[in-house]
Amino acid sequence: MKGKVKIAPYCFIAPFFIIFTYFYFVPVFKVIMDSFTDYDMFTKRNFVGLKNYIDLVKDETFILSIGNTFFYTACMLFPALVIGLLLACLIGSSLVKTRYTRMAIFMPHVFSMVAISMIWLYLYEPNNGVLNQILKTMHLRGSKWLRDPEIALFCLAVMGIWKSVGYYMVVFLSGLKGISLQYYEAAKIDGAGPVNTFFHITLPLLKPTTTFLLITGIISSFNVFEQVNIMTGGGPLNRTTTMVHQIYTAGFAEYKLGYASAMSVILLLIVIGISILNFGLTNKE
Amino acid sequence: MSKQIIMKKVILKILIIIIALIVIFPLCVLLSTALKSDREIASGFVSLTPEKLLWENIPKAMGMGDWPRYFFNSALITVITVVCSLLINSSAGFAFARLPFKGKNVLFYCAMIGMMLPMQIIMLPVFLQIKEFPLLGGNNILGQGGIGLINNYWGIILPLIAHPFGVFMSRQYYMNFPKELDEAAKLDGCSALSIYVRVYLPLSKSLFATLGLLKTVDTWNQYTWPLLVTNTKEMQTVQLALNAFKGENTVQWNYLMAATIVIILPVLVLFIFLQKYFVQGIVSTGMKD
Repeated sequence: MKGKVKIAPYCFIAPFFIIFTYFYFVPVFKVIMDSFTDYDMFTKRNFVGLKNYIDLVKDETFILSIGNTFFYTACMLFPALVIGLLLACLIGSSLVKTRYTRMAIFMPHVFSMVAISMIWLYLYEPNNGVLNQILKTMHLRGSKWLRDPEIALFCLAVMGIWKSVGYYMVVFLSGLKGISLQYYEAAKIDGAGPVNTFFHITLPLLKPTTTFLLITGIISSFNVFEQVNIMTGGGPLNRTTTMVHQIYTAGFAEYKLGYASAMSVILLLIVIGISILNFGLTNKE
Repeated sequence: MSKQIIMKKVILKILIIIIALIVIFPLCVLLSTALKSDREIASGFVSLTPEKLLWENIPKAMGMGDWPRYFFNSALITVITVVCSLLINSSAGFAFARLPFKGKNVLFYCAMIGMMLPMQIIMLPVFLQIKEFPLLGGNNILGQGGIGLINNYWGIILPLIAHPFGVFMSRQYYMNFPKELDEAAKLDGCSALSIYVRVYLPLSKSLFATLGLLKTVDTWNQYTWPLLVTNTKEMQTVQLALNAFKGENTVQWNYLMAATIVIILPVLVLFIFLQKYFVQGIVSTGMKD
């Protein structure tokens, strides 16, 4: 009877942990091991030491992709967070009914990246796409958008903002709901204006929500891949290629799995760094 | 005073509506483009309203390519993934919430670390794990010699099933249940399994609704895994097929948009009718994938 009790809990977690180990833990070790080899999927692995990492440092495209990834994160995440927060404040002020507008703003978040990309490809179409036609009627010059190396990545970031802003709004709204009304009443009695209230009450009390969104947002925008692969393929002139896109290209198009694994390890280190930073910051309080 | 408040209300309302219109505009473009004729598309984007609503564009677009097959693939993958992940993750969550066992905390933290780990980082080794799946697809016990689960539904499904966040959510949910519940069952001589099946599962409806909804949308929208794991047209999911549709010949925007509408339709319907659960799920999980 006693033995039975002991085994039962493990049976409950076993299905999860077997799959989890096979598809999460083993891969993490595998990717680190493979990063020291010249594996190409067809021949045997040979140990090559740090060669992949040394090559990476010299790989201009990869360095560029790191820069692009940082640029995308900065251009997408921060504006999206700010707009999301402002929207939440506007909509949360409960002066007007906002059920349908809320729904409309949140909607892009639930659609697949492939579908969203198709729509924005048409908006950005350089010949007679939507944006250029609108600019034309306003007698302004059009742009090549995604085919213009200078702004292509920025265009992807704008699409990212559009897709995620509703999500940030919804999470911020729930954060706002958690703030006790007493704070606002006290501020009102003290004669604080809306701007003062926002900076001295709303913003500090929303800090847990903001930190959470910031960290998860950084991690997910560091892994931006789908829209790049679908819309630009990393071009023009590699200006939109990101780290995950480089991993994908090196691994699945050029079959340089060892090399691509080294890239993955770099990305893994960055993500671990961000997570540690997060824990350090939140534990301080 | 009241006049001022009314003014404020009007300004606020107008502002919010303008923002909502900006957000909704690309979706309006999607719908209107899908219903335009080839001639209208050729002359560029002139107006949001098509000259004539060509609803037949949608069946026409579906006729270009084996869409029933792609829908079948996507639906099958989604259903199996959702059912399996709900059972696996909730049973693990139940054990973590209710059963005492050695190494519980360590194992739980291990699972939670996985939550922070984006799948994109390990896409290479996970691909190899799928390819080298032992004893299937012509592989020997060491996973060599065949293609494993490549081009197999399970190759797409398995990596999506174990979902640390599902475990976390289920644990939180079950921890809120009163302890008397399983003590009473225990007195009746019920085993852990029968407590889970007879007491906890029937009370999991709202948990499963939220988790299941998020997982359904997430799986339906998957692009990266099916892209890596499949290499034939027969195995394509709707998302892959839509991307391939764009690549074939010159882009015919009206048909491309028509196909896009059909693909987002299931998600749209779920969203409109279950919006409350959606928002609840997003807020309580805080994370989508």
